[in-house]
Amino acid sequence: MTRTQTTPTLVTRERPKAPASTPGRIGESTIRSDGVPKVRGEFEYSSDLWMNGMLWGATLRSPHPHANIWSLDTSEAEAMPGVYAVLTHEDVPGRKVYGMEIPDQPVLAWERVRYQGEPIAIVAADHPETARRALDRISVEYEVLEPVTDAEEAMSESAPKLHLSGNVLRHVRIEHGDPAATADVVVTGEYEIGMQDHAFLGPESGLAVPDEEGGVDLYISTQWLHIDRDQVAESLGLDPGMVRLTLSGVGGAFGGREDLSMQIHACLLALHTSRPVKMVYNREESFFGHVHRHPAKMRYEHGATSDGRLVYVRARLIFDGGAYASSSNAVCLNAATFACGPYDVPHAEIDSYMLYTNNPPCGAMRGFGAVQACFAHESQMDELAQALGMDPVELRIENAIEPGMRFPFGQEVPPPAPVAELLERVSAVPMPEEKEVVGRDLRELPGGVSNVTHGEGVERGVGYALGFKNIGFSAGFDDYSTARVTLSVEDDEPLARVHTAAAEVGQGLITVQAQIARTELGIEKVVVLPADTRVGSAGSSSASRQTYMTGAAVKMACEAVREHLFERVREEFGEDPGDLFLEDGRVVSGGHGIVVLLTELIGGEEIEELVEFHHKETIPLDEKGQGDAHVQFAFAAHRAVVEVDTELGLVRVVEIASAQDVGKAMNPQALEGQIEGGIAQGLGLALMEEIQIGEGKVLNASFTDYLIPTILDMPPVRAEILELADPEAPYGLKGVGEPPTIASTPAIVAALRDATGRKLSRVPVKPDQIVGLAKKPPDRPLQPGSRGPQGEES
Amino acid sequence: MPGYHRAELSVELKLVPSPTGEEAPREQVEAAKQAASGSGLAREAGPETTVLAGDRAEVLEALVEAIRASLDAGVRTIEVKVEAEAEAERFD
Repeated sequence: MTRTQTTPTLVTRERPKAPASTPGRIGESTIRSDGVPKVRGEFEYSSDLWMNGMLWGATLRSPHPHANIWSLDTSEAEAMPGVYAVLTHEDVPGRKVYGMEIPDQPVLAWERVRYQGEPIAIVAADHPETARRALDRISVEYEVLEPVTDAEEAMSESAPKLHLSGNVLRHVRIEHGDPAATADVVVTGEYEIGMQDHAFLGPESGLAVPDEEGGVDLYISTQWLHIDRDQVAESLGLDPGMVRLTLSGVGGAFGGREDLSMQIHACLLALHTSRPVKMVYNREESFFGHVHRHPAKMRYEHGATSDGRLVYVRARLIFDGGAYASSSNAVCLNAATFACGPYDVPHAEIDSYMLYTNNPPCGAMRGFGAVQACFAHESQMDELAQALGMDPVELRIENAIEPGMRFPFGQEVPPPAPVAELLERVSAVPMPEEKEVVGRDLRELPGGVSNVTHGEGVERGVGYALGFKNIGFSAGFDDYSTARVTLSVEDDEPLARVHTAAAEVGQGLITVQAQIARTELGIEKVVVLPADTRVGSAGSSSASRQTYMTGAAVKMACEAVREHLFERVREEFGEDPGDLFLEDGRVVSGGHGIVVLLTELIGGEEIEELVEFHHKETIPLDEKGQGDAHVQFAFAAHRAVVEVDTELGLVRVVEIASAQDVGKAMNPQALEGQIEGGIAQGLGLALMEEIQIGEGKVLNASFTDYLIPTILDMPPVRAEILELADPEAPYGLKGVGEPPTIASTPAIVAALRDATGRKLSRVPVKPDQIVGLAKKPPDRPLQPGSRGPQGEES
Repeated sequence: MPGYHRAELSVELKLVPSPTGEEAPREQVEAAKQAASGSGLAREAGPETTVLAGDRAEVLEALVEAIRASLDAGVRTIEVKVEAEAEAERFD
């Protein structure tokens, strides 16, 4: 535990009132304070921010995925009535590039654009329509260049170099065991995953307010306030203390708000005009305003003994990182470390490549490299089971990794790792009833009320998959979170105020912080203050880490407050602090009963503690891809039951059964929400979600054309929750947000294969693939030694 | 998972092209950038700015090469800013 001090600074906008949380302690389903306002449409999202006298910002974006900029003329726009500023890269006073891992992305482009939608100029005007029209008056002369749109082609020597250091952003190689290992049975496969979007409902938005002292306040929806602040300050050429961020209502994130979007732009305009500036992307612009999930092409070879023991895995993973780095470095690492799945693999050779192209930049998204790899390794396990004549569940259980074994990247598997148990549990869930298809309610048939089948051509299939994910930041990053807890008396009741910079992005973090404070301090009244940069960093609400990290920080801060109270009781009452506990607003002695009321003990004082929690150290992989790179692993198993109209290729997912080890169910209701929401995103990737790219251009930047699952697409979810405590984690908990997304996709595709007999090597699976009309991807010949496809390719 | 600021050494080179050089200013800058790119450590950070980031030894070696190429291309003024990352050994 580290203690730090922070200094409150002035703010330029009245803060929203922090909601008092309803009662609930750890392990109890606790109603979220933001839940009802969101459902009623009363919640204030960042797009609802308003200040009198504010201006509206807008962004000129490149229509070309790859072009030289020969000239840029803003004079006509600047002369328009109502326009207060038109800024280009020349107006960026500090660093002209940004990026979480590698600062390679221009704040505003100069000389060259590398993806469609890249920002070139920004405008502030007194009305959003005026700002939009001003963008039309900016004249840009382009020399359009041939875009590099294929990641494998980007690797070739002849490909145009998109960045000074070439097109290979990262290569991670894992060598494990004997590279020449041979096996009785070998299966090969090539798998492809499309570009998925986060499809969060609240578009990028925020409000920048100058403080008249050269600094700026930014009210923003983001996942990590401090990394935003540092990047914004660097590009503004300001000390970080002059840039203050406050979290505003976040309309979903899923990784898509880890990178900057309009943060620097709004602050530049606000400082330039000395007026508050609001920026809100519309839905179309939002598709260009954040990164997406990396598309991938993956070639695998699995070898096994004739009795079903894995011998080796060889894999080559190619990821399209798009135009700029974002968090692609870490995605490349994650994919490599998760490439073999949660199995005992004696020998492995994994090559994971991340490429720059002129496609939209890709970065963090729920599952972060594990999603892509899981689709491939689980498809391979089914192929292998077929080749061996084994049951796919039995094959997985036979090879399930266990605590004490080592992953192919050398790290020992920490307990708990109930991989086989999860699969056993999910396969033991009773199968959903199979009603007679003829005469069914249309809503229970593929195609629903489109009335395309009354049961003819409908086949049912069942598929299983296992997935896992690291929790927290990895590979040597000093990951920490900060919490300040203040205990005082208000209205004759003890009241705890919890202050962190942790972003509530819809996962229920505010509620869980209050639950922890209530549990640790034995009180009812807890207020979680708005997250901002007046307190130290909490890290990102990503990597399934925030309940672990900020939960631990809040727990430790409460413990420090409690120690302070117990020391005072020792001084005043002579009680042994080791015999004391807090309950119902009282200090209680195990031997002597109630000692004193907290209200009496605290009186008019405030007891405040500020702590940092750091998770255990991790290390980067060495040159052979070996090392204790990750902190914690979370596992999940899924079983999908689908029904397919084999004539039209329409799918109804009948049910998803899930088993997940969560360590500790902190808020069971919120946990169910994470599981169901994660499965919805996995279902979307399996069946419908893909950003269509043609020659580097996005073809479906709307929710009319980019499909996401609706309530009609979502099946019932039956979740088995295991609470096997991680001895190193606070409360024994494990991160829960990502595992549901990872294995649900391959489970659904396995069920589709079971129903149709088709190979289905690409997601999302489209109707034309199901009925066999799709062109055959991938079109390369299979690797030497291949067994060849078992079923008809799609 | 960010790896922000993880390079052991970062060197920012801002080139001021000579208006009287044989090559046009843009070509002077381009020649210098291409020379820096050979190291595999370079990235663009502005119209005239290149950053070299990596291990100390390799960055210093690349820096000398980049300066030599820039001078050969006609550049007469180069602003160099060097930043060392104290905790870089924890990052890959």
